[in-house]
Formats: sequence, structure tokens, C-alpha cells
Amino acid sequence: MTPGEYLSDRSVRITLQLIGAGLAALFLLATGTQPGVLIILLIAFLLIFLIVHLFDFFRLRSRLLELETILEGLDQKYLFAECAPPPGGLYERKLFDLTRRAGRAMTGAVSDAQARQREYREYVERWVHEIKAPITAARLICRELDGETRRKLTAELAQIEANIERALFYARAQNPEQDCLFRQADLGKIAAQAIENHRALLIQSGVRVETEHLNGVVYTDEKWAVFLLGQLLQNAARYRGTAPVITLFSKPLGKQIQLVVEDNGIGIPAHELPRVFDRGFTGSNGRARGGSTGMGLYLCRKLAGFLELGLHITSEEGKGTAVTLTFPAKESL
Amino acid sequence: MQKIMIIEDDPAIREELALILENEGYASLPVTDFDGIPEQAMRERPDLILLDIGLPGRDGFSLCAALRKAVAAPVIFVTSRDAGVDEVRALSLGGDDYITKPYSVPVLLARIKAVLRRTGAGPEPVDVLETGGLRLSLTKGAVSANGKTAELTRNELQILSCLMIHAGQIVSRADLIDTLWDHQIYIDDNTLSVNMTRLRGKLADIGLPDAVKTRRGMGYQL
Repeated sequence: MTPGEYLSDRSVRITLQLIGAGLAALFLLATGTQPGVLIILLIAFLLIFLIVHLFDFFRLRSRLLELETILEGLDQKYLFAECAPPPGGLYERKLFDLTRRAGRAMTGAVSDAQARQREYREYVERWVHEIKAPITAARLICRELDGETRRKLTAELAQIEANIERALFYARAQNPEQDCLFRQADLGKIAAQAIENHRALLIQSGVRVETEHLNGVVYTDEKWAVFLLGQLLQNAARYRGTAPVITLFSKPLGKQIQLVVEDNGIGIPAHELPRVFDRGFTGSNGRARGGSTGMGLYLCRKLAGFLELGLHITSEEGKGTAVTLTFPAKESL
Repeated sequence: MQKIMIIEDDPAIREELALILENEGYASLPVTDFDGIPEQAMRERPDLILLDIGLPGRDGFSLCAALRKAVAAPVIFVTSRDAGVDEVRALSLGGDDYITKPYSVPVLLARIKAVLRRTGAGPEPVDVLETGGLRLSLTKGAVSANGKTAELTRNELQILSCLMIHAGQIVSRADLIDTLWDHQIYIDDNTLSVNMTRLRGKLADIGLPDAVKTRRGMGYQL
């Protein structure tokens, strides 16, 4: 609060006080008070006037500062009214009371929303858990079918699984601390699992996968890393060119290990590249091909954040795309 | 014949699994009465137990502990909860392996085989395949016939062993690609053609130029 703000806030009161003093002086002058006495009276009035307003200004300012410090120190800012000391004045106290009631209503609404979100997440997880039984049964039953039908059905089942997986990880990404388990993991195993999970799509797309030097040990949550890598493989298979090849290789970067997923697909236009990790961004490729949700890479970025993974994408239209995952060094975790 | 006990509450999965295991040459023991499972295991003496952790009304982990006390058979956990914490817990409770639903059948069979071998209950892995005058050594990666030997690459080795296992039958290109992917060789159709040509060349070198026949529109046959 600046002095200017204070003055403009109190302008009506100050004007009235000054007019009152002027009128009283005129009245005293008209009723024969000596000018000398009048001047002493006016000086006394002005002194009291100044002292009162200065005192008021500094009192208000220090109180506002105190409240601001309290707000700054709060994690949940909406709990402010619960933590601030109640004011002295009647009007202020009533106002404060109203704010506090509003705050309580909001606290209730926030915790309701949190509980609903938690319940929903739990429901999604249970649902995913339940849906896996019939999918497993369907997979086993598929074994009895002849070659071509079995392959087609297996591919469709794999697509269902991939979509379910994505829903599960979307729900988990809301509060990842519950599931993240950092352990020593073999990069080759992660890659093999991700390829296995999407093999139906990859084979169907006629993709050849080359794996080179995938024998590093990384510190990460294996399941999340497999999921993340799976998203990249799916993209590479979807946006493939002719004679598609996906190359997976790792290389050290200081104490870190990088995993590169490279394809020779249709690539991403340069002006769209900065936005590919945005939620719901499908791009010209996604629109041309259809069936893109803009969720895969968005989830990747989110999960990479929790896993402390570096995620970097380069692409050239018509040439291909390369995504580099930089796994954190053990010491930094 | 090795006995595999299936503890799984979903009847569709249980029956299909029993069928598949029997086709693979195991004796399957699907459990339908979930009371007194340790006693059933003691009576039947299975060589391996497939245990679904998510049985209704009981905790698969404590059941595993009870099974462990009752019989010495290895236990493979099957679950649809794929939280890493579960895996750690399962393995620390004496599970020998852990597999999550939905699993693919080749992966499950491979895991079963691996656990049986590790615990000494399974047969030694086959090293040498022989059919129609061909002799293939899997560990050496060499094929021999007529007293001559040719070295094979990893890809050629897997193609030939798949054809030899199914000797006399027609193996489709898609099946060959599937088999190679099972062995972490992620090839496409063109690469398969290239590998097949090279393999035929090597077979010709050892005096069997027409060993692998092409069945137009269907696949290959040895």
C-alpha cells in the first residue's frame, strides 16, 4: 500500500474533515474569536489530523504486510482465512468471517474433488485389472484358430490391450508416486518387452526392428519405461514409410545412458515438432492418417518427467524421426 | 509326463490353459475347489504350480507361502496387477517367476520350460535336431549333411530349426516371422526372403540344394 493509495482510499473522509475544520474556523472568526487564537487552534487540529492519519497508514500497512507474509508461507493458499489472525474492528471482523466461511466451502469442494478423482483412479485400475481376464481367455482361445484368422484376431486383441494400457497409465500419471519403483533394469530387457507388447502391430506393419548394443543397465521403473518405449514404437509403426525399419540403440553420455529410437518413417514437419508433446496435438500426419488421439507423446512427456528421463525428438519430413531417451545416472536419483 | 497344477478362478482361462498345456505334452491339473489347495497339492505332487494371485476371497501371497510349506514344486505367479511392488513381493515369497496377464502363449510356455529346467525337473534342452539326412547343432550353429558342414547365422539357424521341428509340414512365412520374433529376431518379409535364399545356398553347398521346398501361396516345407 502506497501513501497515494491510502489518500485516495480516504479521500472522502479527509475532504470532509478539512471542510469541517474550515467551516469551524469561519464560524469562530464570525463570532469574534481572535485570529491569533484561531491560528493556534488550526495548527493543533492539523497536527492531530496528521498524527491520526500517519498512525492509521502505518498500522494498515504493517497489517497488510503481515497477512501477505502468511499467504506466501502457505502451501494451500486457499487455507489463508483459517491461518490469518482475526482482525480487531467490527466491520473487518464480519468481512473476515465471511471470507472464512467461503474458504471453508472451497476446502470442502477441493477435498471432495480429490476424493472423487482418487475413487475414479481406483475404479479405472480395478476395471483394467478385470478386463485383463477375458482378454487373456480370448488370447488363449485364439490358439485354436487357423493361421490367418488367429493372426488378425491377435492383432486386434493387442490393439485393445495397447489402448487399455494407455488408459491405465493416464490414470496412474495423476499421482505417480504410488506406483513408481526405481530399480536396476536391463535396457535390453526393457526393449524386448516393449517390442513383444506391440509385436502384432509391428509385424502387421511389415516393420523390421534392429537392436544394437542394447546391454546397458539403467535405473528406472521398468514397467513405465516399457510403456513409454511402447508408445514410441507404436508411433514409428503408424507413421511408417516404405520398407519401414526401426532402429534401437544405446550410447553412453557421461554417467548417463541414452536410448535412441530411430525410424525411417514419414517424419514430422519442422513447425509442428515443438508441439508434438502437447496434450491432444495430432498434427498434419495424425489428421491425414486418422485415429490419432494426441495422447501418446503427451503421456510420454508426463511419465518421462516422473522418471527423470530426458526426452528429445528430432525429425525430418520424408526421412524419419529419432527420439532420444536419456536415463538418469544412478547417483542423481 | 510333467504335472502342472493350474490355480485360476476364471473358468475360461483355466480350461483353455489346461488344453494348451496338454497339447504341449504336460499333464494339467486344473483346480476347481479352492479350499484346501495345499492338501490337494500334497496329494497330486505337481512338478510346477501356476498360481493366480487374484483368487476371490483369499490372498495369493499367503497361499503361496502355504504351498511352499506343503510341496517343493516351483511356483509361477500369474496376475493382472502389474505393479512393480507386487513382483518384488511375489519373488521374495518364494515364487520362481512372475508373469502378468494378458500373457502370450509362447511367452508363458517359454517361462514354464525355463522354470522347470532351472529347478531340474525339466528335460535338458534339445541341442541337436535331425531329419532327412540333415543334422543341426543349435549350440554350435552349424548344419551338416553328407559329411559336409556349414556355419549358419542366428537368423538362418532359427529358420532352419523351425522348419526341422515341423518337418513334413508346411510352415507359412507369417509363422516363420512369428517364430523369429519369439527369438528376438525382429525381421520383416523381405529380410526373410534374403535369409531364406542364403540358407538355401548353404544347404546347396553341403549337397542338399532342394531341401527346402516352396509351396506357392502357403509357405515352406522341409
